[in-house]
Amino acid sequence: MGEFIVQPTEDYKGIWVIAELSESGCLLDISLEALTAAKSLGESLHQEISAILLSATNQDTSQAEETLCQYGAQQVFSLKHDMLAQYQAEVYAYAISDLVGVKLPNIILAGSTSTSRDYLPRVAARTHGGFAPDSIALEVNAQGELEVTRPTYGENLWAKVVFPKNRPQIVTVRAKAFAKGEADKSRPVNSETLIPPLSPELPHTKLIQVVQGESKTGKKLEEAEIIVSGGRGLKGPENFKLVEDLAEALGGAVGASRAVVDAGWRPHSEQVGQTGKTVSPQLYFALGISGAIQHQVGMSSSKIIIAINKDSDAPIFDIANFGIVGDVFEVAPVLTKTIKEQNLAVSV
Amino acid sequence: MNIVVCVKQVPDTAHLRFDSNDQLAQESLENVMNPFCEYAVETAVRLKEAHEGSKLTAITMGPPQAKEVLKRAIAMGADEAFLLSDEAFTGSDAWSTAFILSEAIKKNLPSTDLILLGQFATDGMSGVTGPALAEFLGFPSMTFCKKAELKSDTILEAHRETERGLEIYEITLPGVICIMKCDYEPRIPSIKGVMKANRTEIPVWDAASLGLSADKVGLKGSPTMVAKTWRKPKKEGGIKVDGSDPQAAVSQLIDFLRQQKVM
Repeated sequence: MGEFIVQPTEDYKGIWVIAELSESGCLLDISLEALTAAKSLGESLHQEISAILLSATNQDTSQAEETLCQYGAQQVFSLKHDMLAQYQAEVYAYAISDLVGVKLPNIILAGSTSTSRDYLPRVAARTHGGFAPDSIALEVNAQGELEVTRPTYGENLWAKVVFPKNRPQIVTVRAKAFAKGEADKSRPVNSETLIPPLSPELPHTKLIQVVQGESKTGKKLEEAEIIVSGGRGLKGPENFKLVEDLAEALGGAVGASRAVVDAGWRPHSEQVGQTGKTVSPQLYFALGISGAIQHQVGMSSSKIIIAINKDSDAPIFDIANFGIVGDVFEVAPVLTKTIKEQNLAVSV
Repeated sequence: MNIVVCVKQVPDTAHLRFDSNDQLAQESLENVMNPFCEYAVETAVRLKEAHEGSKLTAITMGPPQAKEVLKRAIAMGADEAFLLSDEAFTGSDAWSTAFILSEAIKKNLPSTDLILLGQFATDGMSGVTGPALAEFLGFPSMTFCKKAELKSDTILEAHRETERGLEIYEITLPGVICIMKCDYEPRIPSIKGVMKANRTEIPVWDAASLGLSADKVGLKGSPTMVAKTWRKPKKEGGIKVDGSDPQAAVSQLIDFLRQQKVM
């Protein structure tokens, strides 16, 4: 594999969105959110939008290609190779870096996922591009330069990141930070299949096994629009049924505070906060959670926060849009029952 | 087995203070080892203990006071530590930091088998340094790891937690892994460990000793730059009701959700 050759800044043009497919081959919503963000950058910068897809040689990606064009991609570069059948960081990084060297994109956007955050730093290193992950806002300034807003310092300080010289400018966007646009079904499909030159020496990693998540409601925390989280106020793992029942009645996902994960009541995959997940649902219910700063880091950007806690001084009430000072064992079941009996539906 | 753990000193994000211009009040910052680096050191010490004859080296890049986190790493079980420090390194972004670390490892720790880092630092929150370091070294990398065990001298089994669940990988070494929160907690340094840390000399590597010219490091060598920072707009608390009558409180909540047009 040859060295990457860096070109002059002004030679890099166009905006890419690297789309991600689920295990079942569907486009992730976050990829369409990134595409919508790219569309508005494209209008400001008068640059073309291309979507990039990676898949196995025989995988049928025509549906995804059509959708990407309907959501604003002017063309799709569909990279196909049997070595892309299963995600491996080195292979993805090499395939994309190679295409960067050929097409010289100015900006690369992708949804912020554990996959993009795994291989895109390698693309940045290889291509000498800049990388700004987990963006919550993108702007083009008066000079026509990209400005990326991203949270830092435990979500306490926002930073505006710029790319003085190096290209491409690689950015991942946080889930739900950008609205997904509307599909325009009249747009034609324009897709080109490319075969990346991959060396069989890659990769040095091998996937042995995937153990599915333990989420009982089957909802992924990062994607959920409604989250019901429980904390130490529930007094024991058996009482998490209160949380699960409310989550089920609302059609939401279950989350947990660090304290109950550390106590072994709930798996780490449900933890919201500094050493867990960062979520921004439309509705976040905190049941028996005091709301230490480390928890707030992971959920303070939720649209509406509802807290139930018996301690009226709990810090969670400082950020809750609606707080109930009361016994979670009394209030939560009444709430669940009322929602079920009155057939109340949440529209988010 | 030669293991390297890269650690970072960060301000304790639970005790940040801001000045009147909504900027971080630098002098009031309490510096600690980044929480994810604590898990990386713990995992590295466990790997060292499980594999006899291994050596664990801790490195960090930062100002002179960053030596404190190296002392902590030694107190937790690292055998030696080096500080990468130079005025010229100031302003390095994660990309540039990874580049400097890679040059230091190539030059001074060439027989490294495994490098561990924390998944994120709580200040920059980028998660870039680990995989970028691997790319610069030509090593494989694995992020979001919560467990790692050596299967042989050259095969590491890593457990990676993602949106899809738990993924178990085998990595052919040399390689880089980034550690998030584990099922075990970082150890508290023993008194013996702290004494050893105080006795251990921590050499400094500067740009000249690594053969790095000033235009390749720091702000000049960084593809990105922070143009501006400001304090996140504080979320105000809203309505607070008494829950001693649960039915009444729930009715008020439902009214509120209807007003917000979500129910």
